[in-house]
Formats: sequence, C-alpha cells, structure tokens
Amino acid sequence: MPSAFFYVGLPYAALALLVGGTVWRFKRDRFTITSLSSQVLEARTLAFGSLPWHVGILVVFVGHLIPFLVPELWQAVTANPAVLIGVEIVGLGAAVLAALGLGVLLTRRLLNARIQAVTSTMDLVILLLLMVQVLLGIVVAITAPYGAAWSAGTLMPYVRGLFTLSPDAALVAEMPAVIKAHVVLAFVTLALVPFTRLVHALVVPIHYLFRLPQRVVWASIRRAEELDNQPGGDPAEGRRDLVKGALGLAGAGVLLAAGVLDKLVRFVKGDAMSKDQKEHHMAQKLGRLEQTASQRALELERMRSETITVAKLSELQPKSGKYFIDYQMRPALAFQDEKGLPILISAKCTHLGCTVGSQADDQGRILCPCHISYFDIKTGRPNDGAPAKEPLPRLGWVIRDAKGKVLASRSADGTVEGSVDPKAPDAASYEVCIAKKYEEA
Amino acid sequence: MNARSHGRPARLVTTLVRFMADRFPMHKLNVEAMIQKKEVPLHKMSWAYYLGGLVLFFFGIQLITGLLLLFYYQPSVSDAHASVEYLTRYVPGGALIRNVHAWSSSAMILTLLVHLITTFAMKAFERPRELTWISGVLLLLITFGFGFTGYLLPWHQIAVSATKIGLGSIELLGQYLPGSLADIPTRVKEAIQGEASVGQATLSRFFAAHVVLLPLAAFAVLGLHLVSVQVHGMSQGVDVPSRRTERFFPFFVLKDASLWGVMFFVLVALALCVPFESFFSYPLFEPYDPLGSTPDGIKPEWYFYFVYYPLELLPFWLVNLLMGAAVGVLLLAPWIFKGTSRKTLRMLAAGAATYLVVITLFGDAIYEMLKGGH
Repeated sequence: MPSAFFYVGLPYAALALLVGGTVWRFKRDRFTITSLSSQVLEARTLAFGSLPWHVGILVVFVGHLIPFLVPELWQAVTANPAVLIGVEIVGLGAAVLAALGLGVLLTRRLLNARIQAVTSTMDLVILLLLMVQVLLGIVVAITAPYGAAWSAGTLMPYVRGLFTLSPDAALVAEMPAVIKAHVVLAFVTLALVPFTRLVHALVVPIHYLFRLPQRVVWASIRRAEELDNQPGGDPAEGRRDLVKGALGLAGAGVLLAAGVLDKLVRFVKGDAMSKDQKEHHMAQKLGRLEQTASQRALELERMRSETITVAKLSELQPKSGKYFIDYQMRPALAFQDEKGLPILISAKCTHLGCTVGSQADDQGRILCPCHISYFDIKTGRPNDGAPAKEPLPRLGWVIRDAKGKVLASRSADGTVEGSVDPKAPDAASYEVCIAKKYEEA
Repeated sequence: MNARSHGRPARLVTTLVRFMADRFPMHKLNVEAMIQKKEVPLHKMSWAYYLGGLVLFFFGIQLITGLLLLFYYQPSVSDAHASVEYLTRYVPGGALIRNVHAWSSSAMILTLLVHLITTFAMKAFERPRELTWISGVLLLLITFGFGFTGYLLPWHQIAVSATKIGLGSIELLGQYLPGSLADIPTRVKEAIQGEASVGQATLSRFFAAHVVLLPLAAFAVLGLHLVSVQVHGMSQGVDVPSRRTERFFPFFVLKDASLWGVMFFVLVALALCVPFESFFSYPLFEPYDPLGSTPDGIKPEWYFYFVYYPLELLPFWLVNLLMGAAVGVLLLAPWIFKGTSRKTLRMLAAGAATYLVVITLFGDAIYEMLKGGH
C-alpha cells in the first residue's frame, strides 16, 4: 500500500530520524549544530536573501503550527471571512517573500566563489528541497485557496492523528497531487534536518536579538578601526534594530490591517437584521414617511382652505394648551379663557424661535425652555428680564357650529364679534378655526 | 500719457510678485530641501511642531469615516434620523464608525485650537509666514462650519433645535441696523435656511455644505497651508534660536507617525467604549418633531461654548463686537504683533487658553451662578 507507506510509515520514520539523528549529531560533535554562518565571507547579498527568507518562512511556519496546536480556536477565528482573507493574504505574502529570499540565497551559493568553497552537497540538496517545498506550498495556496478553512477537516486531524498514534492515511490519500507532494516532501525535509545545516532551526538564538552586540570580523586591526569610525555606529547593531523594528511594525501592521479590514468589509456588506428587526425598521420608516406626508398635507391645506379647524371648543382647557399649526406653518397653542372663549397664541418664541411649552403655570404663563422666557397667555407678553423682548402674537379665530354657521369670531387686532353659549344643546359640536383673512400678510 | 502714470501699476505688480515670491519660494519644493536637508529645531516648545500634523491626521479620519457614513445616510427629513439609527443599530461596525467620526471631530477641533494658540505663542506667523497663518485661521473657520453643519444632519431634537437657535441669532443682528438694512439679517438667515423655518431645504443645504462645499474649501486652503509650511519649514519658535536640531526625515517623521498610531488607537478605544451620545439625555436624540415643544437642555457642541455662554450672559451686541474683533485680530495678527516678543505672545496665548478652558469646563456653572434660579 503506497499510501500507508507515504502517509504513515514515512512520517514515523522521519520523526524517528529527526530525533535519533539530532541526538547522534549532538553526541558526535555538539558544535556542528549550527548553520555555519557565511556572513563573514559575503554579507551584502546574504542580507537580501536571509532576512526575507527567515521572516517569510517563520510566518508560514507559525501559520502551519497554530491550527495544529489550537484547532478549535483557529477554526473559530478563521470563521470570520475578513480574518480568513487576512490570513490568506499574509500567508501567501510571506511564502512569496520566503521564496524570493531563498532564490537569492540559492543564487549566492551557486555563483559566489567564496561561498562555493564552504558549500557542501547537503547544503545544496536542502536548499533545493526547501525551494521546491515553498513553491509547492504557493501552488497549493493558489489552486486550493482558503487552506485555513479546508484543512480543518482534513490535514489537521491527519497530523494530530500521527501524534495520537491513530494515523488515518485516507484523510490525505484523496487529496490533489500537489497537496500530497507537499505533505510527503515535508516529512522528507524533516528527516533530513539532523544531517544538514537546517539543524540550526532547533536552536533558534532568540537571545541574539537582545544580547549585547558581538562583531564577527577578520582579525585585522585596520578593519576594526574602520568599523569603529563608521558614521551611524556598527552596522550589525543597525541591522538588529532593523529586524526588531520591522518585526514590530509588521506585527502591528497585520493586526491593524486585520482589524480595519474586518470592520470595513462587514460595514460595506451591510446589515445583519433578524426578520423582526427588519419588520420593525420598515414600520418605523413608513411611520416617518407618514409623518412627513401629514405635514405636507397640512401645508397644502393651509394654501387652499379659507378656514382650518383647530379643535372642538369643548376640548380646550385653561391650563393645558393644544398644539396646532398656523397658516405660516409655525406652531401655536389653543387655550380657553374664563368666559369659555378660545385663546389662540403663537408658540414660536420671539427670541430665537424655539417652540414654547404647552402647560401654563399658576400665573397663566407658558415657558420657552431654550432661554427661559415666560409668556403670559392672555397678553402674550414675556416676563421682565426675559431674553425674549417681543410678545407672542395672539391669533384670530372663528367658532362654527356643526352646520358651518359662524357664531363668534375674533380678528387679529382683538375685536370679538358674536357670542357663544357653552350650555347650548349642540355646544359639544362647536369648532374653533383659524381663518386666512385674519392672518397678517 | 506720462511716465509716472505708466510706472505706478507696474511698480504695484512688481511689489506683488515679490511679495508672492517671498511667501512661496517654490524652488524649495524639492526632495533635497523638503526631506534630505530639512531640520526641526529642538527646544522646550518643540512638542508644538506635532500639532498641525495631528490635526491633519484627524481630518483624514473625518474624511474616511465621513465617506463611509455616506454609504448609509439619507438626507431627507423623513429618512435622516431613521437612516442614522439603522446605521448605528444594524450595520456591523456602523456605531463604531459613527462614533469615531464624532470623537474625531471633537479631537480635531481641540487639536486645532491648541495648534492655533501654540503657533501664536511661538510667533510662527512672522514674515514670511503670514499667509500660512491666515490660511490656518480660515481653516479654523471652515472647521467650525463643519461642526455646525454636521450637527444638524442626524435630525434629532437637539440637532434641529440647536440649529434653529444658531440661525436665529443671525436674525437678532437686525435690531442694530438702521432702516431697511434691518431686514438683511433675516434675509440672510432665510437664504441659509432655504425656507421660512428649519426644514427639508435647510437639511439639503447643510448636507451639501458638510459633504461637498466645505471639504472643497478645506482642500483648497489646506493645500495652500501645507505647501507654505513645506517651503518655509519649521519656524524658530523661541526668541533665542535653538542650536540643537533634529533631522526631519526620518526622525521627526517617525515620531509623527508613531503619535498618529497612538492617537488612532486612543480614538478607536474611546469610540468603542464611550458613545458620544452618552453626554446627553436620551429625549434629545428622539427624531425631531415639528409639532412638539422644544425639549430642555438644548446646547451647541462644547466647542461653541466659548461664544454660547457669553451670548447667554452678556448683551448681544457686545458679544458680537468681541467676536468680530477676535476674528479681526486673528486675521491681522502677523501685522499687529509684528514687534511683540515671544514672551509677551506666550502670556497673551496663555490668557486666551485660560478663557477657553474655563468657559468650556465651567460655563454651565458660571451661568447657573449668575443667572441661577431664573
């Protein structure tokens, strides 16, 4: 069974070789557990190869490790489409970066004479292997995108199965050839770790970033003096700062981009309303439209009609005013005086135009809340010292019975004609109206 | 035609050309002068060099969040309030973006005021920077315009009522004008409103001003402001020029960028944790009802308190006179304070700052104390 060999036998063999080989190499000569730096031979191209390669491959490596360590959390986080897209972009970007860096490293190793002198066969083998592996990974990411999502039910349980001693080759056997090649090659690389320069990955010198700088130079006094006099200090220290700064900025940038992108994508996509909320919202919008429509109707009525009913005379009260809209579409209030006749008074404050309150106090005054002016409802006059100086104008009115006959009226200048008997049998049907003829032009 | 009458306009043109050439030395508009050789003086007021950039940052935030709000906002009296409510409640991230817009507007005005005061104290309006200063004062007025017009757009009680009061005070000017001139303020008010009272026409006009007119004006003046800042570099800032400087690029730029980063996080954290509306009681945020009475507690935004409380406490004409004088002094500052030392300017600036802080923080208390009990 080839699949049993590739997906069960090979992984365990690789792990055994990794552990055993490393122990063997450590026992044999512990000082070979290193990548044998060639910086001293050639530094310039190295920086352009090694930095992108390591930054890229570390991001990719962490991306492969997290879902394996905390699968539930990873699934929950990547269930958000914006995060998934973010992960996809970051992962692919890092892989391309790694490939570019590796390309530079490979070219350097093949073309530079000084490096050639210290290059072993295994160095070239592992470089080529890594190159193929990274390119395969990029092909997988392009042909089967959103690996963070689909690997949840396939590769993740497969790898976990290897460690819980219940490997299931079937989880991989059905996958596309590129993915299978990527998996197999991963185990081959793992098996080769102890026998190549890759072994240095097991002893990541994180403390290098934080220890005092050490300088590797040819043992030459001239060179040391040159470095000491270099403007801007030791380039090694600068690089260290650059790496730290770039890592910090990249981390912050990824977090920021993910956060902003997440908000933006969902903002532009629009609401997530339940059926009830949708109904409620639509009803509310309709209500507002009806409100506007009724106001338009009021305006039209004021353009067309000679008289407009404000209220039934019997509804009016001495203290509690009833709002209505006058011919100029301004708010006004209707009260009743002691004789049972209406008091119609503008409710638009003469100070700055706020709408005056409708409840009269004990002295028969209504209050404008904006700057505290009290207006007498009988005279319209503001209290002494109020911000408003002008009185609220009183409006003229007409009282009609049910048949439309005019019983009494008051013109804008205050002349009252006719009279009303509040005890008359049909008094309940008397209507108070405002009339266009009483409006000031 | 003699030589004299021919010479005068020519001389005028020459003077004007020289004036502009001094103010806009465009030959300095290159990478070498603006990036490679630019130095920022280091002294005890150096922190003030970051304020203008910070205002620009908040302006950028306003542009972006404002554009996003446009996706959902509907500028009509029946839909405006509902659309804002919909955005806040149902659109993912809508409340956050609206809140960032509100917080950032306040932050922008606050930073702008501090920028203005420190610039004044550092005498950065000195020749050849007069036009930089004047364009800055114009930007302040434009920003207040943004605040006033934006306040109306949600169309809730406090928005419409505060706008009514603000526009109403234009009308009050009429009482000081003689004869038929007395009608002009009312005409002006109605021209701004577009109709007899604050309604759909006003909303449309304020919307147009807030999202098109004022941004265009701001871009134009800001362009002028930034170009002149770039060609003249940082002003010396203190009476005895500092001998210590720092390179603009990359050091100043990096510090600037990290300040922006910190501010971005502060802004988002504030917007997430403290809804801007939490400073007012709810009824003020109900949809505006043209038929109801005006609710209690109508107030402008805090950045108008410096003119709002004086209006409540002092005679109207006096406040107008003072504000007119203040704007005049601001615009003419480069010539009025030509010979004033920075020490004196610092004291004047401190006085103005004290007034702004006291009236903004304690305006309400002062009002209660003087007019308490109504």
